[in-house]
Amino acid sequence: MPLEVQGTFVSQKISKIRWIAEDYVETKCFFTGSWDDDQNSIKVWTLESPHEEEEVEYPRQLSEYLVNGDVTQIKFTEKNKIAVSLSNGDVKVLEVSLYDKQFPLKEVFHWEKLHNYGAEQCSCTSLDTLEGDIATIGEDGNVNILSGRRGEVMHSIKGADSCSLHSICFIKHTEVITGNVRGHMKIWDVRSTNNKPSAAFLLAGDELAATCIIHHPTQPHIILAGSESGALAVWDLRMNSFPTSLVNAHSAGVSEMQFHPENPHKLLTCSVSGELWEWNMEAMTKSSKGPDGQVMWMPLQDKKSMMVNSLIPALHKSINSLHCDKGRILCGADNEAVYLIKNFKY
Amino acid sequence: MNTSSFAVDSSRGKTGDTAKTFILPDKCFQKHVGCAWGRGNKFTIYPRSQTVNKTPTDAADSKLMNIKQDILLFTPILRKLVNESNGTYLSLQKAAEAAKVSDNQVEFLKLSRQFRSIIRVCLENLQEAATKAEGIEKNNLLSYITIFYSIECIWHLCEILYIDNIPGDIVLPYLLEWVRFHFPCHEQTAAQLLGACERGSEEHEDYWDTVVGMVVQGRVDVARALLKLHSAGESNEFKLVDNSLRSMPVYSVYGGISTGEFTISWKHWQAECRSKLGSRVLASQPKLELIMKIIMGDYSAFESIRSKYSSWFDILGGWVMFTAPWSRRHELGAAAAACAGMQPAGRSHLDDMVRALLEGDLHQVIHEIQQISDNGWFATHLTDILFHCGKLTIMDKHQTNVTSRLRDSLILEYGCLLMEHKSLWSVGLSYLASCPPEGLRRAELILERMPVDTEAKAMKIIAEAKKYELIGVAQSVCRCMCARHQSAGRAGGALCWAMRGRSSAATARAAHAALAHYTQHAVLPAQDLLLTAGSAMLLSDALLFLGKYCDFHRLYKTKEFKKAAQLLVSLITSKIAPEYFWETLLLDTLPLLESDEPVFTSNDTYEIMLCLELRSSSLDGEKADLLRLALARNLARTALAEGDGTEEKAQ
Repeated sequence: MPLEVQGTFVSQKISKIRWIAEDYVETKCFFTGSWDDDQNSIKVWTLESPHEEEEVEYPRQLSEYLVNGDVTQIKFTEKNKIAVSLSNGDVKVLEVSLYDKQFPLKEVFHWEKLHNYGAEQCSCTSLDTLEGDIATIGEDGNVNILSGRRGEVMHSIKGADSCSLHSICFIKHTEVITGNVRGHMKIWDVRSTNNKPSAAFLLAGDELAATCIIHHPTQPHIILAGSESGALAVWDLRMNSFPTSLVNAHSAGVSEMQFHPENPHKLLTCSVSGELWEWNMEAMTKSSKGPDGQVMWMPLQDKKSMMVNSLIPALHKSINSLHCDKGRILCGADNEAVYLIKNFKY
Repeated sequence: MNTSSFAVDSSRGKTGDTAKTFILPDKCFQKHVGCAWGRGNKFTIYPRSQTVNKTPTDAADSKLMNIKQDILLFTPILRKLVNESNGTYLSLQKAAEAAKVSDNQVEFLKLSRQFRSIIRVCLENLQEAATKAEGIEKNNLLSYITIFYSIECIWHLCEILYIDNIPGDIVLPYLLEWVRFHFPCHEQTAAQLLGACERGSEEHEDYWDTVVGMVVQGRVDVARALLKLHSAGESNEFKLVDNSLRSMPVYSVYGGISTGEFTISWKHWQAECRSKLGSRVLASQPKLELIMKIIMGDYSAFESIRSKYSSWFDILGGWVMFTAPWSRRHELGAAAAACAGMQPAGRSHLDDMVRALLEGDLHQVIHEIQQISDNGWFATHLTDILFHCGKLTIMDKHQTNVTSRLRDSLILEYGCLLMEHKSLWSVGLSYLASCPPEGLRRAELILERMPVDTEAKAMKIIAEAKKYELIGVAQSVCRCMCARHQSAGRAGGALCWAMRGRSSAATARAAHAALAHYTQHAVLPAQDLLLTAGSAMLLSDALLFLGKYCDFHRLYKTKEFKKAAQLLVSLITSKIAPEYFWETLLLDTLPLLESDEPVFTSNDTYEIMLCLELRSSSLDGEKADLLRLALARNLARTALAEGDGTEEKAQ
C-alpha cells in the first residue's frame, strides 16, 4: 500500500507529539503538547472515522490539560504516565487513565521552578526518562535527576554547563549525556559528586546547538545527535571525543529523531526546514570486525550512500516532533497541524 | 474592549461612519488621559496627571487600559483556515515563479480549488461548532458562517470567470453549476417527488414551484420528468410543453455548429414556442403558460417568479440560458443588470459584489470584498491569485498600472496583522517575505520587537530570519539574549550569545564582565566554553585575552608550569590586557616565580620587571615589593643556570 499522509489543523503549534501505547490493539490515542501560544496545553486525541464505512481517520480531541509556558518535552515514565517539561521551569508527571482516555489528565508529581535563575524564570528545555527515572535540563545549565516513582529530586548537578543545555539522553542508569547551545556535549556520571563531566567533546566546529540526542536501541554505546545546523553526528562512546561521522543532512535544525522501535536499521528525523526523512542505517551496522574482534561502527561517508528517503513533501514550516509506532508516524508542526503517515514500511 | 474589525474605507464612506465612540468605564479617566501605541493594532490609555512631582495618590485610582482590535481570524476555528491557506498561498507563489517560464494556468486552477476546499472545511467546522454553541457565541459563529458563505460564493464565481479555462469562453454550464451549488432550491422536493414516482404529484404544495425552479436552474430533464408525474401529464397541453422543452437547442462549443447557425435554430425554436403560446392552447393551464414564457426568456415572467427566491442569483442561470446561451465570460453584465432589476428593493453587500464581478469591474470587486469583516483574508488571497493569473489590471486616476502595488499593500497589511499574534507570527512573516523589499523591511521592524521568552523561541526566530536572509534580525536577537544574560550576571550565556551574534562589541563587553568578575571573586566563569571556543575567539581582543587567560589557568591546574609561564609572559608582553587586570596578571607570576624549578627564563623575568615598573600604579607598594623580591630571586637563579649553560657551550 502506498504511503498515506493526512494532515489535520489543530489551531496550536505542536512542540511534541507521542503515541499512547496499547496492549494487543493498534494504537489509537496520542498526546500533543503545544508551544508559543497565549495558552498552551497538553491534549489527548483519538483517531476516529466520522463515518463508519470510511477508511479515513481524523483526530478528535478527548481532553485538554492547560499549562503555563510552552511544553518543551514529553516522555513516558510508565505506560500511562508522562513526564512533561515546561518553559516556566516546571516539570510534571501526568497520568492518563488506562480505561477512559476522555478522563482529564491527573497530575501525579509537580516540581515547581525546578530550573530557575533564582527568582527569575528559566526554561526547562528537555528531559529524558529511563525506567521511571527522569533527567531534566534547563537554560540555567543544571541537570536534575528525579525519581518518577517517589517524586523526589535524587541528584542535581549545579552548573553542569555555563551555557544553556538543550538536549539530554540517558546512556545507562548512571550516565547521561547532555548537549548545550554551542554543541558542547558532556557525559555525566550521576553518582559522582564532583560536578565534573566524565567526558566532553564538541558536536561540530560551528558552535551551534545540539538539538536532540538519542542512542542506538541495540548498541547503546552508539550516540546520535542532531544539530541546529541540520547536521547529524554519530559517536562511538568506546572511542569518543570525535564523532565517528558527521553528515550534513537537513537544511535547517534537526528537531527530533527516533529509531524505529521494531527495526533498529530505520532512523526517522524531522527538521526545522519542514522535512521528514527516513534513513536506512543498515549500511552502518553491517559492520566489520575490528582488530580486537569488536564490532566496528562503519563511518558514514555521505548521506547519498545511506539511502535517505523523504517521507512527505517538505512543509513550509518547521516539523517539531515525530513519533513512530509500527507503520504509522505522527508529526507535529509549526503550521498548527498534526500529520498522520500510514503504511510506512519498516 | 471589543472594537469592530470592520474595515472602513475612509475615502468613500462618510466621515460620520468611520469614527466609533466608546465610553470609558472608569472614572479615573475623566480628567486627563494619555495614550501610547503598543505593538500592532494595540494601544494603552492611562490617566495622566498634570502635576508631575506629586507622589501617586492612590494605586486603585490609576489604571491602565489596553485597547486592541478584536481579530476574527484569531479564533481557534479560523486559525485553521489561516494556517491551511498559508500553505496554499506559498505553493501559489512557487507556481507563479514557475509560470514565468511556462504557462501554469492548470496549476492556478488547482490552487484556486484548494482555497475553496479550505473555505468549505472551515464552513463545516463553523457549522459543527454552531450546533454546539449557545448565546452570543452561537450568534458570532452564525455571522462567521454568513461571511464565509459569501466568500465561498464569490470565490467560485471568480474562479469561473477568471481562473478556470473554459472552452470557447461559453460560460453557461459553469454558471448553472454555480447557481445550483450555492443556491440550491427545490432540489430536495424534486428528488422526493421523483423518488415517490406517483401520478398526481401536483397534490404536493410545492409541485409547481419545484417544476419552475428546475426550469430556472436549467435542469430541463428533471422538469420534464416532474411534468410527467402530473395527473394530466398525458394531456395535449403537457405534451406540447414537453415537446418544446425537449426540442430546445443546446449550445455547445464542440457541437460542430457556429454561433450564427445556432442562433438561427434557436430563433426558429423560439418562434415556434411563441406561436404555440399565441394559439392560446395553454390558456387553461396558467402554470404551463408561465413555463413557456420562461423558456422564451420573457422578462415579465421572470419578474413574476423573482419574489419566490431570496436573491436574484437564483434566476441568473435561467435568464442567461433562455435569453443568450452563447454568452461569453465577459458578456454577463447585462444579464446581471436585468436580473438584479427585477426587484429593486434592498441591495445586499453580496449583490454589489456579484454585480461588480459579472460586469467585470475587478477594482470594484476588490473594493467591495475589502469591506467583508474577515480581516482581509479574502481580499488578500483573491487579489493575489488574480494577479498571478494575469487577470488583474487596475489603473489609478493617472492611468498608471497599480495592480502589483495593490496586491502588495493587501498582503503587507494581512502579514502585519498576523505578526501581531503570539503564535501566528511565522505565518505573517511568510506573507511579508513574499513582498520584497518592503515586506522584509517591515518584518525586520516587527521581529526585532517580538518578545523572546525562551532560547527555543530565540532560535526559532533566528532560523526564520536566516531563511529570509534577515541577518540583522538574527544578530539583534543574539545581542538581546546576550544583554539579558549579561545584566543577570551569567557570563556563560552572555559570551555564548555574543559569539553567536558575531558581534565584537558584545563579545568585548561580555569578556570584560567575565574578567572583572574574576578580579572580584577569583573564580573564572564559563571555563568550559572558553576552552572549547573556536574561531569566534577572534571577535574581540578582550575575548581573546580571556580565552588565553583561561588556558593559562588550565595549564597551571594540570601542573604544566613551563607552558603556563610562557603563556603568561606572552599575555603580559602582548599588552592586550585591560587596565584593571594588570594587578591580577602580575600577581599571577608570583607562584610561578617561587616554584621549585625555575620556569621563567631571565629574559621573561626582565620583561615582567619592565611591565611592573611601567605599571607600578596598578599594584600597591607591599605587593609590588613582594613581586620585585621574587623577580630578583628568580633572575638570580636563572641567570646562574643560563650562564652555566652558555659557558659550557662556549667551551
